Amino acid sequence: MLIPRRVKHRKQHHPSRSGAAKGGTRVTFGEYGIQALEPAYVTNRQIESARIAITRHIRRGGKVWINIYPDRPLTKKPAETRMGSGKGSPEWWIANVKPGRVMFELSYPNEKTAREALLRASHKLPMKCRIVKREEGVA
Amino acid sequence: MSEVRISAEPRTEFGKGAARRIRRDHKVPGVVYGHGNAPRHIALPGHDLMLALKTPNVLLSLDLGGETILALPKDVQRDPVKGFLEHVDLVVVERGEAVSVELPIHVTGKPAGDGLLVVDLQTVSVVAEATHLPEFVELSVDGMPAGTQVLAKEISLPAGATLEGDPELSILRITGTPTAEQLDADLAGAEAELGIVHEAKSEPAAGSEG
Repeated sequence: MLIPRRVKHRKQHHPSRSGAAKGGTRVTFGEYGIQALEPAYVTNRQIESARIAITRHIRRGGKVWINIYPDRPLTKKPAETRMGSGKGSPEWWIANVKPGRVMFELSYPNEKTAREALLRASHKLPMKCRIVKREEGVA
Repeated sequence: MSEVRISAEPRTEFGKGAARRIRRDHKVPGVVYGHGNAPRHIALPGHDLMLALKTPNVLLSLDLGGETILALPKDVQRDPVKGFLEHVDLVVVERGEAVSVELPIHVTGKPAGDGLLVVDLQTVSVVAEATHLPEFVELSVDGMPAGTQVLAKEISLPAGATLEGDPELSILRITGTPTAEQLDADLAGAEAELGIVHEAKSEPAAGSEG
């Protein structure tokens, strides 16, 4: 699973969920991709689960790129704890994804199989997504 | 490549309010610059421009108040979700001028055996005459064995185009695919980490029907 090796601050504020993606909005490495249509926090488990879903479907003969990285910790206070006494302990590692971001890319010779694989992966992700194809021309 | 004629109109008001008014009229705000002239702010018809920009490195012939300007798209800003055009930067070119453009690479064919095609660069930077820009570079990988690497200097460019930039850049590679055992081992390790358990397929008991 993806996890940062070391971080500057172990407990951080919640990342901002407003706005749209500023970059990484087009398919650049592979032929097809999964694009987020809503903002969401994507955990490292969800990313890994989506990767497994794609790899299980395409088997050999394709390549997968993951364009997001879960570099933000989210904390949680234990259940039935009174307020105060400091911030909770880090519980999840998340990637802050904004609408328009291409999260996964896939290169595979058969378009139908590639789309099926990405659809399976999109079911593992916590937001509405769509499958996009690489476009040529000026970005 | 042929020119695409588009009628443009000069813009006199600026800022986000004016830009939004222009977009509401199904037009796209833009700017034309180059050749040491002062930038000119224009508005272009949205649908015509969107169709023109489907061709990579399209040469636009702008009709700006009776004056004709040849221009190439330099930068295009789009809405990340809806995809409509928000703003376009055009750079002025002249007939006979050599310009630097990024040409898309079209890969054809199938590698030999179980080779897996990995494209490192989707475009290649070339210098060509502004009015005769090629649309793409075709590269065949038919029958290439695993372990092959194609560098920028090895691709055959269309007539009139010369390579720009590092000739040693890797364009594509043919790598070996992982074996089924390697793939299964990788997936099993990843699934164990996530705690995913596959249910064993239970066979129906004999004589359970009827």
